[in-house]
Formats: sequence, structure tokens, C-alpha cells
Amino acid sequence: MRFRRALASMWLTAAVLCGNCVQAGPSAAPGEGEWTMPSKDFAATRYSTLADINRQNASSLHPVWTFSSGVLGGHEGQPLVVGDTMYVVTPWPNVLYAFDLTREGYPLRWKYRPEVDANALGVACCDSVNRGAFYADGKIVYNLLDGHTVAVDARTGRELWKVQIATLGNGETTTMAPLVVRDRIIVGAAGGEFGIYGWLKALDLSNGHTVWSASNLGPDEEMGIRADTFRPPYDQGANLGTQSWGNDSWRTGGAPVWGWMSYDPDLDLVYYGTGNPSPYNAEQRPGDNKWSTSVLARHPGDGALVWAYQFTPHDNWDYDATGAMVLADLVVAGRPVKALVHFDKNGFAYTLDRVTGRLLVAQPFIPLNWAQSVDLNSGRPVLNPAKQTGVSNGNVKNICPSLEGGVSPASPPAYSPRTHLFYTSTSNLCMDYAVRHARHLKGTPFVGVVSPYSAGPGGYLGSFLAWDAATGRKVWENREPFPNWSGALVTAGDVVFYGTLDGWFKSADARSGRVLSKFKVGSGVVGNPITYRGPDGRQYVAVYAGFGGDWALIAGDARSDDPTDVRAPAEPTTQIARHTSMGGMVWIFAR
Amino acid sequence: MDFRPVMAGLAPLRSRGRLLRPTAALLILTGALLSCGQPHDAPATVSPAAPPAVTYESHLLAGEAPVPGASLTNPHAGDAAVARSGAALFTAMNCDGCHGTDGTGWVGPNLGDGRWRYGRADGEIFSSIYYGRPHGMPAFGAALGADGVWTLVTYLRTLPAPADVPTESWQD
Ligand code: HEC
Repeated sequence: MRFRRALASMWLTAAVLCGNCVQAGPSAAPGEGEWTMPSKDFAATRYSTLADINRQNASSLHPVWTFSSGVLGGHEGQPLVVGDTMYVVTPWPNVLYAFDLTREGYPLRWKYRPEVDANALGVACCDSVNRGAFYADGKIVYNLLDGHTVAVDARTGRELWKVQIATLGNGETTTMAPLVVRDRIIVGAAGGEFGIYGWLKALDLSNGHTVWSASNLGPDEEMGIRADTFRPPYDQGANLGTQSWGNDSWRTGGAPVWGWMSYDPDLDLVYYGTGNPSPYNAEQRPGDNKWSTSVLARHPGDGALVWAYQFTPHDNWDYDATGAMVLADLVVAGRPVKALVHFDKNGFAYTLDRVTGRLLVAQPFIPLNWAQSVDLNSGRPVLNPAKQTGVSNGNVKNICPSLEGGVSPASPPAYSPRTHLFYTSTSNLCMDYAVRHARHLKGTPFVGVVSPYSAGPGGYLGSFLAWDAATGRKVWENREPFPNWSGALVTAGDVVFYGTLDGWFKSADARSGRVLSKFKVGSGVVGNPITYRGPDGRQYVAVYAGFGGDWALIAGDARSDDPTDVRAPAEPTTQIARHTSMGGMVWIFAR
Repeated sequence: MDFRPVMAGLAPLRSRGRLLRPTAALLILTGALLSCGQPHDAPATVSPAAPPAVTYESHLLAGEAPVPGASLTNPHAGDAAVARSGAALFTAMNCDGCHGTDGTGWVGPNLGDGRWRYGRADGEIFSSIYYGRPHGMPAFGAALGADGVWTLVTYLRTLPAPADVPTESWQD
């Protein structure tokens, strides 16, 4: 989905001729200077061909504009730039801002304030986050925290439709950004901490009506599994979505969807990851628990499941697989492959054949000890028996990585076809894990864990690194004092961009990792940088500041707005509130 | 915004009348007292048709006029054995999933910091748990019954407020 320069400059000319016309981009194909979908392209590369900002001049990067979102929750996600308008979605209460990039100071064209049920604040497991919007067919489409999807007219801000897709009372909230393929909007719900029955739905772009709905676990017919289309690479048999769950535990088994999706137009497959099985006490759900903590490949037209691969069978550690599935064409062991690359919470980076789902490479990208390795023949992890959890194992000490993951699924990686490298944030934390028998009570968490964290081996808490997914090798790594929680952006200027939890926004040489610029952006960064060409022809880089996500809950003392809720700082991030507090801000940088 | 409570266990809450019945003995009915104790310049008295109400100590009073109503009293106040059952109930009912281990705070506020969003009186804490609160606190009235809720209130009262949280100071 990357377009040649000639095409983009043609579009730019059109935009100039049409002056104030916001619809310039919409009907035209997305130009290279735009950012119309969460991950930049269907392959989820977060790679931009813009190169005006490059490794020679990025040291002059400086802020040119800021805007307070007026909201305190964790600002995950990223802005969109369509034509000459920038769109920003906030965490709950999910305000949508449209900025006019043609005028000095980028005043608002409009602002959309939906009604969103405040009860969602208790049901969302981990802060009031939203991971962004998708632009398609003149509409900005996004999810509200309380289980609704809305479509808003990109030009006027008028609400076109609003539909309920998920049910708060069942423990479902909607934090993810939708993916739009043709006239289908693909959405899922979070709730792995509430024992939901996880699913994926396709809505009609014109009116929001559900076209199909498929579960991520349960009987074959509910999962969209048909004998003639389902070809899993390793697991055989009917109804694995019930057979691999003892005690009928699939009914409240979780497997939510709240991360990033990608799409291969040639194979006509949508790829997405599922979250943890519920509850955390694995002994209540004997078996592999398919298809939680897995990647699933479905046809967007009818939802048919084509293949699925489970990263962490019988998850004992809350290792959700909702992180991005990046599609890239790589050469692995001398053979060109249509690959899918995924950095999992469990600490392994996986390279799969995205046609078949077969595993090609699996190597740790951070220190881990729950498994020794992943067996390429069976696709299964070789477990470390000392790190298995469950009520009968009591308090299991020092499991790495922690349940925050080797990387947060909320922090998507980037891939550059120029360097052939992937770029990702990491967290280097370990945990103790003591579970109890959990009771399922709708509307309350189905979790039952006590899990304090500690610093991982090496004494640093996180990093940003470059990864060769063809060989499973780390190429360079910048250690950070705190877990790193931002997404990545890489450009044809061979510059990679990321933010840190203590509030630095950095650019670095994509080949060496050498930091080229850094600026303190007012609050910790848990969002994802983007780049675009403004109506004035200049290249800009935009990112949210706005500390939050799990860290707003764990760091305890990073919040300042509620005098009736004061918390002690938590190990091992006791220093974080010294560097940041909560507060959403949009930043734009230029050179 | 209208108040649509999330109900724990999806069971409908019992009517107010049935809530008050088991605790009726514990109500200190202050209505009569208040009607003669009102300041002379208070606005017209509340219609006698007004439903029986529970009063909240934390509320501001318009014109300083106290609202007729009852305050709820914890039948188990200070009972250490009940507090221990309350601690068990706190995990059994998944309160810790939202409020953290020992109520130290997660998506729900810290319940052990000695500070209360909806008032510190036992009856106010009872109301938070029984009826829920609109920013995501489920109503547990039906799932727990009045006595279960009082058991939790008794436990929450025993959580020791840490001394050093309100002011942070960092040393290198
Ligand atoms: C689904 C998550 C969730 C569960 C389960 C939950 N709470 Fe809450 N609780 C919250 C949230 C969120 C708030 C803040 C609500 C608001 O401000 O409107 C809250 C508020 C409260 C308050 C008021 C605190 C104050 O400062 O005034 C009390 C008391 C309370 N909860 C006790 C409990 C108890 C006891 C349980 C278990 C029986 C429980 N909660 C279960 C999320 C939850």
C-alpha cells in the first residue's frame, strides 16, 4: 500500500488547486504524505517513504505546535492526517478533534463529543485508553470505550451512525482501532480480565450493521471454521475451541481482541491476535485453550477462519498475543517468504509464513525464562517446568517477562524495507505470580492474581531495539531507564522515532540506533509517532504525550487530579512520577 | 448523563424497601428531629410525599438546611472477626480485581488511603458498594445483600492509611 512519489505529488497538486477542500484525500488513493489508517498501511509497517527528515538533518528536529487534548487518560494510538486535516481521538470520553492544517496555529474545524458511559472506566482493565481511528470513504470510524462504534463525517464532524457492538455488563470494552477492508469494518472487544467470550465482527461501512461475527474460541460453527477452508499448520481435529478447554471453561475463556490488525490484499486475509485466556489460574482451564494467545487469519468477506497459530498454549502468565502482526516480504534461509512478524508479550519474536501460518523463526528479543525455546517442528514452546503457575504451584517467583510483556501489545513495531529491520519498544521486567481459584461473576474481574514486578536481568527496565526477523537477531538496542511503551515509526530517511515512559521523544539513526534528537514532551509517551507532508509541502512528525495505560495504575503516584485517591509508588518504577504525570498533549515536530 | 449501573452478577437489585428492612433497626430516624430543628429562614419544608431518603454526611446543603432522612449505621463496626470475613469477601467477590490487592488501587480508587470520593461515613461507603457508583463501580447489593456489604465496610475500615503518600520526596 505504498504509493510512488509521482502519484503523491500529483495528489499534492490537486490538494493545492482545491484549496480549502478537506475531501481532497478521501476519494483519491491515500498519498504517501498522508496517514489514513492506524498502522500507516495494511501491512502495518508504520513505514513512511517521506525522507525530507533524514539521518543527516534529524538533529535539528524541534516542536512547531502543541495542543492539550484536555483528557488525562493514557494517550495510546496515533493521529490521522487526511488531506489537510489532522484527526485526534482522545481516551475516554473519546473526543474527536479535526485540526485545519492550512491555517496558522491549526485551529479546529470541528470537535465531536460522543456520549460514552462512564461505567466503562471500571470495566476497562487498564486505563481509559483508545488506540485510534481509521479513515475510509469520507468517514472517520472509531470505537468508544463503552462498546460502541461510530462513523463521523470527516468534513463536517456530523455523526453518521453509532452502533453498539459490545456489552459492558459482560465485561466487554472497546479500546482498539478498527480496520476497514473494502466496505467492512473489522472490530473486536477487550475483556480478557472479565471472562468474556472473545469475538471479531465485521460491520457494514455504510450503516454499521453487523455483517458477520465469529468467536475466537468455542465450537467450530461459532468460530467460522469450515472443514474445507480451515487449514491450521500444526493442530488437527474438530472443535479445538472447546476440546482444548477442560470443564467447559471456554464459555468464559476470554481471548479478547484489542490490538492491531493487518491485511494482505493478495491473500485476502485479515490477521489479528487474541488476548489471554480467563481466568489467570490456568488449572481452571486444563488444555491448550485454543485460540487464545494466538494469531488468526480470516477472510474479511465472510469471516471464515483460514489458519490459526497459538504462541502460548495453555497460557500461565497473561501473555496476550494482541500485539501487531506486521506483514513483510523477507528472505529466510535463502528462500523468499511472505512473512508475518510478531513481537509477543511472552518475549519471543516470531516470523511466520503468512500463507500457511507455519513457524519459521522464534527467538527471544528480551531476557525470558518461562520457556527454553520454541520448537520449529511442532510450533510449541519448550517449557521451563519451574515457571509453571496455577493454584497448586503457590507463589511462583521470578518469572520473566512480567505480565506487562516483553513488549506491550499497545506499542506496535515498525518495519523498514530499506534496512530490512523491525523496530520495537521493550519492557525488561520479571514477576512473582500467585493465583487463586477465581469466581466468575459478570461485571467483575475474572482474574485472581497477585503479581509484583521486579527489574529484569541487567538492571535496566526497558529498551528500544532493531531486530532482524529473517534470522531472529538483535541488531542494536538503546536501553531506557523505564519500560518503553511507545510505538515505532521508521522512514525512508532512515530515521526511527519513539517516545519513552519518562517523557522524551527521540529520533535515532535506523541503522545504528544513535540518538539524533530528543525533546521532553511534558508527559510519558505511550502513543505512536506518525509522519506526514503538510499542506505547505513540509514533512512533519506528530506524536501524543500522555502517560497512562497500565502505568497510570501501577506507578500509583503519577496521577495528580484526584485528592481522594493517593497511592504509594510501585516497585520497580518508584522514580517514574519524578519525571512525568498524566496529561494528554498532541505534539508536531519539524526540522 | 443518566445513571446506568453495572450490576455485579447481572441480578437486579432488590427494591429500596427490601434493602432497608434488614437494616431498619439500625436506622437512626432523624426526620422528626430535623423538621423542628430547621432554621427559621429555611425554604419551604420538603413535601411529606417525598420518599424516605438516606442522608449523606459528605453532601453540601443548600441554604444549610439539613435534608430529612436516615443515616445508616454499621451493625458490625469495629468487630475484628467480621473484618476478617470482609477481607475474604473482598477477594471472593473480585473487588481486588478492580481495587488492587488489599484495596491499594487499580482502575478503582485506593480504598486504604483514608480518603473517600463519596464520603467517609460508614453509610456512604455502604451506599458505594450496595448501589454502585457511576464511574464503573458495580452495584453489589443483590449479589451480597446488606449484611455482606456491611461486612466489607467493616473490613475497609481496618485498612491502615499509609503515612507517607500525600507528599512525595525523592533522593538521588
Ligand atoms: C469493575 C471494577 C470494580 C469492582 C469489581 C469493584 N469496584 Fe469499587 N469502584 C470501582 C470504581 C471504578 C470506583 C470509582 C467509581 C466512581 O467514582 O464513580 C469504585 C468505587 C468504590 C468505592 C467508593 C470509594 C470512595 O473513594 O468513595 C468503594 C467503597 C468501593 N468501590 C468498594 C468496592 C468493593 C468492596 C468491591 C467488591 C465488593 C468493589 N468495590 C468492586 C471499580 C470496581
